[in-house]
Amino acid sequence: MPTATAGKKKTVRINGCVAAAQAAKYADVDVIAAYPIRPYTATMMALAQMVANGELDAEYIVADSEHSQLSISHGASSSGARVFTGSSGVGVQFAYELYSPISGSRMPVQMMIADRTLDPPGDFGSEHTDALSTRDMGWLMGWSCDAQEAFDNHLMAYRIGEDPRVLLPQMVCQDGFFVSHITSDVELPDAGQVKEFLPPYKHPYPLDPRHPVSHGPQIMPEQGPPLQLERARAMEDSMAVIEEVHEEFAKIFGRRYDPWIEEFMTDGADVVFFMQGGHAVTARFAIQHMRDQGLKVGLVRLRTIRPYPTDRVKEVLSKFKVVGVIETNMGLGSVSSGGVLYAEACAALYESDRRPLVLSFMAGMGGEAIVRKEFYWMTEKMMEAQKRGKIEKRTHWVGFEE
Amino acid sequence: MSTKGTHIPERLKIPFAGITPAPSQEKGQDLFPTGNWRSIRPVYRDKLPPCNNACGTNEKIQGYLDLVKRGKYLDAYALIKEDMPFPSVTGRVCYHPCEQACNRGKYDEAISIRAVERFLGDLGQALTRDVVKAGPPNGKKVAVVGSGPAGHSAAYQLARLGYKVTILEKSPKAGGLNRGGIPDWVLPQQVLDREIERLIELGITIKTNVEVGKDVTWDDLKKDYDACVLAVGLTDPNSVRAEGETKQGVLYGLPFLRDIGMGTSKVKLGARVAVIGGGNTAIDCAREALRQGAVEVTMITVEANPQEMPAVEEDLHDMLEEGVELMHGRAVTAVLGNGRIEALQLHPARFSGAINASPIAVDREAKAERFAVDNVIIAVGQRASLGWLPEEFKTERGTIKIDRFGRLGDTNFFAAGDIVQLGSGQPLMVVNAVGDGKRVAFNLDKVLRGESLQPRTIPVDVIFDLNRMNMTYFPHFPRVQQELLPPESRRKTQDEVIQAFSEEQAVEEAGRCFSCGTCNACDNCYLVCPEPCIARPARSNGLYKILVDYCKGCRVCIEECPTGCLEGVPELDFDTGVVRMDTAFAISPGLHGRQAEELRNLGERAAKNI
Repeated sequence: MPTATAGKKKTVRINGCVAAAQAAKYADVDVIAAYPIRPYTATMMALAQMVANGELDAEYIVADSEHSQLSISHGASSSGARVFTGSSGVGVQFAYELYSPISGSRMPVQMMIADRTLDPPGDFGSEHTDALSTRDMGWLMGWSCDAQEAFDNHLMAYRIGEDPRVLLPQMVCQDGFFVSHITSDVELPDAGQVKEFLPPYKHPYPLDPRHPVSHGPQIMPEQGPPLQLERARAMEDSMAVIEEVHEEFAKIFGRRYDPWIEEFMTDGADVVFFMQGGHAVTARFAIQHMRDQGLKVGLVRLRTIRPYPTDRVKEVLSKFKVVGVIETNMGLGSVSSGGVLYAEACAALYESDRRPLVLSFMAGMGGEAIVRKEFYWMTEKMMEAQKRGKIEKRTHWVGFEE
Repeated sequence: MSTKGTHIPERLKIPFAGITPAPSQEKGQDLFPTGNWRSIRPVYRDKLPPCNNACGTNEKIQGYLDLVKRGKYLDAYALIKEDMPFPSVTGRVCYHPCEQACNRGKYDEAISIRAVERFLGDLGQALTRDVVKAGPPNGKKVAVVGSGPAGHSAAYQLARLGYKVTILEKSPKAGGLNRGGIPDWVLPQQVLDREIERLIELGITIKTNVEVGKDVTWDDLKKDYDACVLAVGLTDPNSVRAEGETKQGVLYGLPFLRDIGMGTSKVKLGARVAVIGGGNTAIDCAREALRQGAVEVTMITVEANPQEMPAVEEDLHDMLEEGVELMHGRAVTAVLGNGRIEALQLHPARFSGAINASPIAVDREAKAERFAVDNVIIAVGQRASLGWLPEEFKTERGTIKIDRFGRLGDTNFFAAGDIVQLGSGQPLMVVNAVGDGKRVAFNLDKVLRGESLQPRTIPVDVIFDLNRMNMTYFPHFPRVQQELLPPESRRKTQDEVIQAFSEEQAVEEAGRCFSCGTCNACDNCYLVCPEPCIARPARSNGLYKILVDYCKGCRVCIEECPTGCLEGVPELDFDTGVVRMDTAFAISPGLHGRQAEELRNLGERAAKNI
């Protein structure tokens, strides 16, 4: 495979979509399966340009639907290609059939998600429900909060997913518009650094007409459980690999991320927000302001939700009095009658000796921004609960209550 | 960590992520028997191709065409020889009912089967030693009276069955109608001679100049042989019952041809010759007359037009090409002349009804025509000469009385050929006589072995409907035409008119065969099965097998079978509720395997209780 002409390290001002496309280029992907849907489309536009002008030598396949995109990706990955695809909103849903087969056959396909609210009606704002609805399908999954992190996460996800101990597909998510369409400075690495970090993809059993094997044959029911167990094991084994890869990434590129959780101003905090994705950027400003006012508030941002770092979440959240989960997703009729993140947080805390009070905030829904004023309001609610020592109302619809 | 401390038992270990060895044609998808999903089972069931069915001796035509297509000429020759002693003869003279029946005729043009048969027959003629051997001698002696097509065929099959066969022939040369009824320019004498030699090579004794009723009697036959096949043919020509038919210059069709065939002809034809009759013998006579020096030959028929004539279309065409004139709707009512024929008196006439047995309506009220000729050849059929036959075995129409197996009462005498087929509604032709001789030989064998004769009860499924095949596999392709000598040169010679196929032509023509209803190992099912669950140790009819443990009954193979051999048979008979499927959960030793075992036991217990 020819190497992408990525050139020397440089800083460019690009949005999250283009950052994802740049990452695919640096990863020197072999096959790109595209189908348009806002807001992720800009990624495929950027990649199309790169292929067209010779920056990237890849098969760029325009599919007839998201289902086909994922089917193409599945097949291409089976033949040993490094594959990049992506989608948003209902597009993510339309491909649903393929999520389990791809992870079940252990094909490290990478899918970029720029979130979009699900229909109806045709709301094109951002919300995490699209990707989160697939969270238990055996894909590695996490949210970036800005373009730089998106670029870095894409590179790391390939390295993690293609590791022979893992071999799982990855969903690298970013909030639609808030990350995908807001430009910021992104440092693009030196091509040599990427080469050092990300070796070429090698599947242990690629499709090869000279050595025919069956991928995804019918099996006996009793042969299903061992395969599920192996897939679960791969998901668990990936945790060590994720940590290794983040460490190595920091060494080579100089940017260090905690693989699981970002803590912001949590020292001495009584109440914290627990959230994913781009709204954390606003949260940081709000928290900074509130800290200036003397309020003991902080931010815990989940970077990887699959595999879910249960012990780490328990350990971190147990330090505080009140946790406010900002959902940015829909979990209709769920544990909290709000979003699905609440249940993940609470389940991790259940075995803790010092369980904080947990609130669920329905905010950032339907593509609405979470403005600073709303962070102040949510903080107030958390502090009230802290004062009372108990939860009066588990879930709050932010902006719709006094 | 949920997976900590887990382990997978050895028997359930399968390769990474379920990646398994590729399914093979021999074992299918080894892991998961999906046969229990099936409601329709594909079954290979060969139908009878219409050509085989139409052939008077049921040659395995589709079979040898297929072998020719693959270049297996000797195998093809051996196959044809099972039913036909002399393909070199029928390859030239047969009126090929097979080609009329050929399904390809409904599609573009029928296969030129006769030309391929001739190709094989000539190949057989060139062999130093024939592929057919006499059977181990069984010590029994059979006389065959007559060496025409029926006698030849019966003697041939009996020799193959191990009988000591003696052919009694009244003519100086063996061959019967093959020699005496078919002109040289259709069937050269040396071709027939070679086939007669083949009979001698099989250990058959041929006694010529022996006439039954004169040189041997009925009682002699009874005494000297264990059994006898009477294949004496129709030797005496019919008359037109016209006044003056005895005048000099009046000839009869079959004797005319026979004398030329035997080399004993003393006939010198005049310039103007009329042939009476509209059948195939009449056509042969008219064309022979040209070759014997006649300048103007006119064929006079009672039939009103060529379509009514009981003649083969292509022979009629070739005759007209050679310059014979047709005169329709007239009957000869008198031969005029003073001692020697000078002219014919003709009256309008009408022929109505079936072949070989119909009244002719002559309008004697109408004004008679005078038609000047030097000779007339009367070719209006033949009749038997059965003076020697005991009365009890004679029929009203002057043929031999037999039962449905060709046997005369409960004697060991059998009869075959024209002598029994005249008036039976069957057209008289060489291949029908051959088939009759063959069947009678087998029946005779059964009787001598003490077996009872039973009519065949197995129903035959002849495939006539093109919709039962998948015609998308057959591009339209024209028939390979046999070369003919040009009419102007051939009408004066004894050279063969129709030319043989070259090897390439024979292969090309055989390649046009649809192989109607019969597996020809095209491999399509094997290739299209998506499972795959069709196995075949080698590409050959009969070796294809459906792996019913895996076949889901998707019907792809059935739909894509070009020839219509594959059929779908319902697994569940919805009327009776009987499940024919015996393969559910068949192979794996796992959970389903155990279920299968239990199901089988359950079924057996239930069967005992009932």
